Amino acid sequence: MKIARVIYEDGDHKWFALARDTSRPDFLIDTNEYLVTSDGDAMLLDPGGSEIFPAVFSAVSTGFDPRRIHKIFASHQDPDVISSLPMWLEFNPGIKCYLSWLWQGFVPHFAGNADTFVAIPDNGMEILVGSRRLQAIPAHYLHSSGNFHLYDPKAKVLFSGDVGAALLPAAEDGLFVEDFDRHIRHAEGFHRRWMGSDKAKRDWCARVSALEIDMLCPQHGAIYRGADVRRFIDWFSRLDVGVLKS
Amino acid sequence: MANSHSSEGAGRELRRIVRINEEIKSVVSAAFKINLMAMNAIFLAKRAGQSALGFGVLSNELRRFATDLQRQMDTLREATYGSVSTVTVLVKQSRISRLLERARIEAQGQAKTLIQQLARSRDESTLARNDEQMAALNRRLTHMIADTAQLVELGSVLARSAKIEAAYGGGFSGSLMQVSSDFEKIIGEIQRSLESLTKHQSEDFLA
Repeated sequence: MKIARVIYEDGDHKWFALARDTSRPDFLIDTNEYLVTSDGDAMLLDPGGSEIFPAVFSAVSTGFDPRRIHKIFASHQDPDVISSLPMWLEFNPGIKCYLSWLWQGFVPHFAGNADTFVAIPDNGMEILVGSRRLQAIPAHYLHSSGNFHLYDPKAKVLFSGDVGAALLPAAEDGLFVEDFDRHIRHAEGFHRRWMGSDKAKRDWCARVSALEIDMLCPQHGAIYRGADVRRFIDWFSRLDVGVLKS
Repeated sequence: MANSHSSEGAGRELRRIVRINEEIKSVVSAAFKINLMAMNAIFLAKRAGQSALGFGVLSNELRRFATDLQRQMDTLREATYGSVSTVTVLVKQSRISRLLERARIEAQGQAKTLIQQLARSRDESTLARNDEQMAALNRRLTHMIADTAQLVELGSVLARSAKIEAAYGGGFSGSLMQVSSDFEKIIGEIQRSLESLTKHQSEDFLA
């Protein structure tokens, strides 16, 4: 069962992590969802696949009134990211889904109409959640050709989609990375295979190095915090990506 | 669930579950308050001594009531989670049904017959099964809410009795009276939440 845990809090401005679901069926990849709230508004980041909608919906409901979720951010088009969209739209047909303009004609195959989607241009955009201005940060080709991360300058939290993802064994179910060297072994194969462009990787490393980041929150695996954020960016910048086998 | 095959019905069902869940949260929060208040009341009764023995017993009972209520709310919450899972299946099924219906309209000849057969077999098995499951979950929720209402009625009686006992509290009578009035007020809040919860639960059957 998923649990919503607060990872950042300043009054009504909060980040919830719905991470590390050990009770999901084995055939589904484990995903993390995040909820950003501010002044009565809320945005759900990578809400997950339709199979895990009940777990996500129920976990969100324990800590927050889901009727206040007015926005969804989809880092890219994968089914584990956004195939639960039909359910969220059943619940609230007025929800707006922010995603790369590239997928504007593809994701409606899951659900939604022309009014549902807000296209993010290639160079990113600001997204208002309550009184907080979040930034959609370009992460194209990491791994999707139309890919965005989301940065909260006040909370200093970067939602990094598949970047930073680790496929961890069931026993390692902590919310945060505790031992970077041990953890990163579970991230290496994933990044080598899924991240297809060295140039895109270097661009991303340069871009996020200019940001103040206290927490780097991937869609799979544990959250990097403190010095581990810099360690991860340095590790990733050196990693040989776009290879079938190491 | 009224017209559960339609996606409108599923969306309505989800919104209803959220309203129920919000009331559950209010009751849990009130139960937590009662637990704390009852603990303080037990200490107060101890200080008051012999004249507040009855009040002490009732405070103990109110603590037990708060714990039982929290447990009951946990079970209710689990039942609403079960409903979310069932609604998710219903939405997927309703989507498939809509697509099959469109395919049936557009198909011709052999394809039309195949689609019709498929749609018929789905109608007879999957959808009926899901509807039954949803109805069973709703019946379970209704029973659980009725059980909770009985439990809250007991809490209400305990709070009223505490008020009577407070009158015999000697020098502590004023403080005990204040505590018992607070109990009564919080239980009143729980009763109102429960009424809303019952209303939301029955909304679906009236829709």
